[in-house]
Amino acid sequence: MIRIASLAALCLLMTLPAAVAQDMPLSQVLVPGEHWQLVGSGYRFTEGPAVDRDGNVFFTDIPNNRIHRIDANTGKVTVFAEQTARTNGLMFGSDGRLYGCRSGDNQVVAYDSDANHTVIASDIACNDLVVASDLRLFVTDPAGRRVWTIDAKRNKRVVACGISPNGIILWPGEGTLVVTERNQPHLWTYRIEPDGSLSHREQYYQPLRLLPGQARPGSDGMTVDTNGRLYVTTSAGVQMFDPTGRMGGVISKPHRGSLANVVFGGPKRNIMYVTAGDRVFQRKTRVQGAVHFLKPPTTPR
Amino acid sequence: MLNIFTRIVPLALILLANATTHAQDDYKLGPDSMVQPNVPQGTVTKHSWTSTKVFPGTVRDTWIYVPSQYNGKTPAAVMIFQDGAAYVNTKQSFRVPTVFDNLIHKGEMPVTIGIFLNPGTIPATKAGGKPRRNRSFEYDTLSGQYARFLLEEILPDVGKQYRLTNDPALRAIGGISSGGICAWTVAWERPDHFSRVLSHVGSFTNIRGGHVYPALIRKTEAKPIRVFLQEGSNDLDNLHGNWPLANRQMAAALKFSHYDYRFAMGTGGHNGRHGGAILPDSLRWLWRGWNEPTAGGSKKN
Repeated sequence: MIRIASLAALCLLMTLPAAVAQDMPLSQVLVPGEHWQLVGSGYRFTEGPAVDRDGNVFFTDIPNNRIHRIDANTGKVTVFAEQTARTNGLMFGSDGRLYGCRSGDNQVVAYDSDANHTVIASDIACNDLVVASDLRLFVTDPAGRRVWTIDAKRNKRVVACGISPNGIILWPGEGTLVVTERNQPHLWTYRIEPDGSLSHREQYYQPLRLLPGQARPGSDGMTVDTNGRLYVTTSAGVQMFDPTGRMGGVISKPHRGSLANVVFGGPKRNIMYVTAGDRVFQRKTRVQGAVHFLKPPTTPR
Repeated sequence: MLNIFTRIVPLALILLANATTHAQDDYKLGPDSMVQPNVPQGTVTKHSWTSTKVFPGTVRDTWIYVPSQYNGKTPAAVMIFQDGAAYVNTKQSFRVPTVFDNLIHKGEMPVTIGIFLNPGTIPATKAGGKPRRNRSFEYDTLSGQYARFLLEEILPDVGKQYRLTNDPALRAIGGISSGGICAWTVAWERPDHFSRVLSHVGSFTNIRGGHVYPALIRKTEAKPIRVFLQEGSNDLDNLHGNWPLANRQMAAALKFSHYDYRFAMGTGGHNGRHGGAILPDSLRWLWRGWNEPTAGGSKKN
């Protein structure tokens, strides 16, 4: 079998390099009989779901200035931090800290395990962020219509402008950065250059599903799985794309309200969590979320 | 390791013309697909192209076939193939250089320069980062972007070295699978530049919205495009659509709108065996009347 497989693989490489992509229907993601379950409610606006090494999921309740923690094993929701200055996007770094966008005071910060925060950069009207394995940050600034990068020495600079960025994520392997614009029927991809600059912008993920009569998809937060699928929250639901930018399906919303963001958590990182207005929901899947913090940082901050 | 093989093997088996032979795919190549004594052979050269304008950052392999009858004085006809590696190969199903040699020698198609283009990739700069594979974005997207790539990058560059016609009646384009719908899209967007389309197991399905073409064709003033569609009854049925049904819809719409079309429905699957076996006849039909003053292209189909 292996011999035949090797031969076939070799022939494939000889004939149609990069020509075909694996089909990725929703059936590879969803578990029959598993549906959305309510994790918590009574919040005002939930955002920024982030998973840590153990699969615990943290999310913010922006207007209430709190960050909550969902225990990976018990599912119990507790308060992790208060007075968070409208902290919005969150993601864990390879140094074990929780990076966040304190939109209320325009600061990008890192929370330690005791919820004490250190300012990483100031004067950025930040919305969402992604942390590379080397602790380089990419931060969206919708009001300023630009994307920032902050290197491990805390130098900040603008690396993309002219779009109204919102959600932001890295591919597994970190070669490509993806950015959403709420009003555009596509997601942007950029190549990340060694110095952190962005190049070769493309409307790679498109078309997005639009609700009937609407021209704007309302795309917001994103996450990726270990097979390179990308998930983006939209008005129509969680839209799943394969690594070649082809939409593979729309996962229904858990309620009639809006969706803001998505992440995979739990001990196996196979539970999809969505922040959805005043609530948070979860559902079991057949895939595993990809994270960038499993490698140790090359330059400790 | 096994996982890789279990993924690649089905693709390889589906795609490879020579790896295995199923009964329904038991198509044989004829003499026009074989090198014939006393037929002069053209030359094939391999190149690479880095796009700076339309698909910035992409790199791809390209090949140029120049028939022995090309004299550098008379502008040559042009035929462009997507997934060029599969078409330029003279040991597999299509063997375009050999078929061109034979048909040009008999005057059944014009003296034609063949341009074979692989899809682009954007290599990652980061170690371990995956390249962005641009095939689906370039081929499946319903827009004039790929046509612009041909008209603004590829044809001017090849035109520096060879005298190429600007007559749409003498410009043809073809491809397999997503390359098939790509060829159609190029002519649909720019019939002022391309008038002859060859599609093998074309993906007129909802990979990126291409399933709408039959509806568009029925409700759009007919364009001066001649099109040959090859399809197989055992072709794909997946999340993007059903290929045999989609091609039947295309053929019915082309008939309804009085296009000059031919539909060859075989019994094969998603590969080039049937298309390769009938390639000489397909090209004879596609190019018929090429040397008559009123034939082809924008004047008369």
